[in-house]
Amino acid sequence: MEDLGLKIFGAILTTIMGFTVGMTYGGIVRKLTARVQNRFGPPFYQNFLDLLKLQSKKTNVAHGFMGHMAPVWIIIAAVTVLMFIPILNGNLWFPNMSFHGDLIFLLYMMVFGSLGMALGAGQTGNPNSAIGVTRGLSQMVGYEIPFVLALVALMIQYETTSIQELTKIQHETGVWNAFANPFAFLAALFASLGMFRYSPFDIVGAPAELASGPVSEFGGKYLGTMMSGGAIFAFIKLTLYVHLFFGGAGNADDSGILATLAGIGILLVKTFLLYMIPVFYGWINPRYRTEQAIRYFWGWPTALGVIGVLWAVYIN
Amino acid sequence: MNIFFTIISLLFSGALLVFLINKVLPKISGVVAFITIAVVSALFFTQVTVGESYHYMVGEIQMQFGVTYYTYIFAIIVLGLSTLASLYSIQYMQGKQRLGFFYSNYLLTVAGMIGIIFSQDFISFFIFWEIMTWSSYLLVIYNGYNSSKIGMKYMIFSAIGAYAMLAAIVSIKANYDTYIITEAMQNGAFSFSDHIYIPIMLLIGFAVKAALMPLHVWAPNAYSKSPMSFTAIFSGAMSKMGILGMGLVLASAYSYSNSESGNAILALRYTLGWLGGITAVMATIYALIQTDAKKLLAYSSVAQLGYIIVGLSTGTKLGVMAALFLAIVHGVFKGALFMVVGAVEKQAGTTDMTKISGLIRKMPWTFFVALVSIIALAGVPPLGGFVGKWMLYEALITESNNYFLVIVIFFSSTAAFLYSYRFLYGLFLGQEETDTAHVKEAPITMLIPMVILALILIVTGAYPGILFEPIAHGMHYLGFNDVNWDMSILVNVWGEESNMGYINMTIGVVFVVIFTFLTLKGYKGTKEVGTKDISTGGEVPAENENLSYQLDYFKPFERAAAPLYKRSMNKIWSDLGNAMEALFDFTRKIYTGNGQTYAIFVIIFLVILLLLKDTLFAN
Amino acid sequence: MENDKNSQKIVDYIRNFSRKHSLFVLAYGTGCGAIEIPATMTSRYDAERFGIRGAATPRQADVLLITGYLSTKTLKRVIRVYEQMQEPKYVIGFGSCTINGGMYYDSYNTINGLDQYLPVDVYINGCMPRPEAVISGFVKLQELILAGKANNGEKYRENLEHYRTNQKKIIKNWKMPDYNW
Repeated sequence: MEDLGLKIFGAILTTIMGFTVGMTYGGIVRKLTARVQNRFGPPFYQNFLDLLKLQSKKTNVAHGFMGHMAPVWIIIAAVTVLMFIPILNGNLWFPNMSFHGDLIFLLYMMVFGSLGMALGAGQTGNPNSAIGVTRGLSQMVGYEIPFVLALVALMIQYETTSIQELTKIQHETGVWNAFANPFAFLAALFASLGMFRYSPFDIVGAPAELASGPVSEFGGKYLGTMMSGGAIFAFIKLTLYVHLFFGGAGNADDSGILATLAGIGILLVKTFLLYMIPVFYGWINPRYRTEQAIRYFWGWPTALGVIGVLWAVYIN
Repeated sequence: MNIFFTIISLLFSGALLVFLINKVLPKISGVVAFITIAVVSALFFTQVTVGESYHYMVGEIQMQFGVTYYTYIFAIIVLGLSTLASLYSIQYMQGKQRLGFFYSNYLLTVAGMIGIIFSQDFISFFIFWEIMTWSSYLLVIYNGYNSSKIGMKYMIFSAIGAYAMLAAIVSIKANYDTYIITEAMQNGAFSFSDHIYIPIMLLIGFAVKAALMPLHVWAPNAYSKSPMSFTAIFSGAMSKMGILGMGLVLASAYSYSNSESGNAILALRYTLGWLGGITAVMATIYALIQTDAKKLLAYSSVAQLGYIIVGLSTGTKLGVMAALFLAIVHGVFKGALFMVVGAVEKQAGTTDMTKISGLIRKMPWTFFVALVSIIALAGVPPLGGFVGKWMLYEALITESNNYFLVIVIFFSSTAAFLYSYRFLYGLFLGQEETDTAHVKEAPITMLIPMVILALILIVTGAYPGILFEPIAHGMHYLGFNDVNWDMSILVNVWGEESNMGYINMTIGVVFVVIFTFLTLKGYKGTKEVGTKDISTGGEVPAENENLSYQLDYFKPFERAAAPLYKRSMNKIWSDLGNAMEALFDFTRKIYTGNGQTYAIFVIIFLVILLLLKDTLFAN
Repeated sequence: MENDKNSQKIVDYIRNFSRKHSLFVLAYGTGCGAIEIPATMTSRYDAERFGIRGAATPRQADVLLITGYLSTKTLKRVIRVYEQMQEPKYVIGFGSCTINGGMYYDSYNTINGLDQYLPVDVYINGCMPRPEAVISGFVKLQELILAGKANNGEKYRENLEHYRTNQKKIIKNWKMPDYNW
């Protein structure tokens, strides 16, 4: 029972942490973007204010039962994936259920949220939502290929499909996976550009071209819930990358308060630095059309992924 | 009178009875067919014990009937799906013509499939295989659409497969002197050790039914143009007969062959795996661009069968378990989806997605079944399709060396999300048009089988162990020892697990919490509006203004993958057909119709005989 | 109860603070005053530091900017857009044309005062108002929101008859559905 209580407490703490960190990162990125554009920009807690305002709207409009369920499914996907990623390595409070699911499960669970949003956007009947959804799904076929190639390369090289094992092996050998299999890392990095939906791959939610695509008919509490789901997803993807390629964070032997806080600090630093890569790339690029984006992912990133798989098979 | 004879004769007499009843009282022919199949299912699941067999001697050939653990798996699919589909078919076929013809062939098809499951020797296997083929051919041409093209294609390919199978059967008798399947398998008859052509011929025969590339070209049209209550068992159960056969051949190759054939088996693994992978990819990308819901599902069936064949080709425990599990689950969700499309066709009149859309408010239960089946098809947790996909990927990554096949399968699986969404959006979501205002929910006897199938999918997602038990016994028959399984936990050989119990619990808890929060927050101020109240730039859409987005749905993807779309298997086959016709046209010139040329032919033949008499009639 | 009133005051304060610092403006330029909006949003005058950003559809927007003169043709669409927005919603009248008709006071085609057809929170006068004036208008709106005085969405709903008669007088081909609420 005490174990169960600890687990539930850890789960709630993880969710709150994921949500807060995701929203704060969004705010910091807005501030940095403003600075790059030679202006001041909103304060770094702006995303929280947006969320509070959206949740305090007095009237809300829904288009049907699936439209009501769409934000629910996004949050379900986000929280479930969060439960199965080890946030800190070997910590007593944070592993949640990462022993009971592995990488392939995570790959499929991340799609569950997009499916929910697509169904909700479909029921509104707005053709712009449908166009946005199809573009988003087509782009997903594009970037999943180099991503899966990178993951398969890692899985073959170390003969494991569990994230904790991969992090432990990086600790033992002392070399981060980004350098142990550089081609896989490059392929995954290119795929991350598509996952975070910054330019040049932001055609899905283009405000002027598509009336913001899938979210065009959502407002009030639905939009607020979707924003928070998106923020948690950003945190999840960053944590996954850090654990797979940059050695994770946290000490497997020590579970005290100080070590936990130090682990969280290192995690935040690593994820933020990794987040800057798609953001930087987005500041200077215009937008690709959908077929250009798909062809981009099936070109050099896939080639790098194939070389990564061959590297994993033959060099090791 | 043993139980096998009873079951087969019940089905045959049921077919005759339905045909006769239809002439007198057409309204109850569907009910009679349903009762026949239901009685047969009840008899099978209560009276038949696995492992006993009966012999008959017909002339000098020994025919043997019985059920092994392996064929029991397929009996679950066939009987379960046939019962539900015949219940569905009562209302679906109401008001159509020639019902006696339809139901008697329906029962004959089921009889053929049950016969295949019961037969333990090759001769009866072949007899029932042929019964199944021609009765399904008669049903494919039932609707009368362009029957010569569609039905002929199906018949020709089935004939190619059947003759290949017959040649292999006769070869087995000549070389191993037995017709019994179990003996032949355990003696390594089709195991690639020697006489490689035997298993290859058998595989060709089974690959036609299982729609493997390049023998799949009959499938899309045949699945989409036959009546939907028949397609439910055509695509759900009959294609699994091909999988049954392939499983037998491959088991013999992997478990019962001697060590000299290692290279041949490696070649088999790779060839079959890549053929399955290419089938999956090409069928998926053709499914994306369809505007007819039936044809979309037909292409998707071919693609899913590709996954199953890839699983079989790995030959490892996890892979074959994944293949058999996917076979069962595919039967369930494809049967449900074809029933959904049939219900939409009956209520709304057409399944062309450019003409109807927005049926979610009018057919909510049908939408629920479609949603659950599509989630299972896409392989998304927490339903049953994810379990099969997980095992397939784990088998490919951990146990076989075929890494690039993983990428191909994953590409096909991701592209499957596209046509899954297309199916749901095209029929149920999107704008509600005025010409679908008269549509009502499907009748109750059509709803009950669909909902039962959806519930099966939900249950096997959380407790896949229910299906693992018969599969593990079946794999023991195929020669795999120590197949471990657990009720809710999936494990791979490296020790990582995926605990479906925890997953479903997490999803359930989060769903309840968030749904309550979202519904209660601002409850009084939430208003539900229709699909015409959208932000169309301040304009109010008129009643007849068409705002649905259904045409050229995935045009960007088509443009991006344009080189893939240029290859077409149909073109290769029709080129081959034209070449053959030119050759036959040339050889036809022998028949000149002139008596003098025929006299010259006879004289030339006698001269050749005289000249070569020493070599031809040497003593 | 004293405690309830205090906690209600704190909750209201937080709500109004968040509403004030996060204004989504519908990207809809109804008249010639819209030329000043890009200048306000971009780097030199930077409206984003107040939390003001553009929204693509009325479902996501809080603030409707009526920028300049309003022809009757546009008024019909603006009414539809206003009714699709979710409460609390604010209207800002830009330029002299919304106050008293401005330069087009005697035209057959434009309206002479926005207040008869939609409830307005803040007027910004000028022809066009410069970006500094626009920002001062937004700051005034923020003060109104913090004081809890910007409830014109409810006012529209309660006085719907009055606004409807005015609207129907001037819009001849009225083919709109009833109000959403």
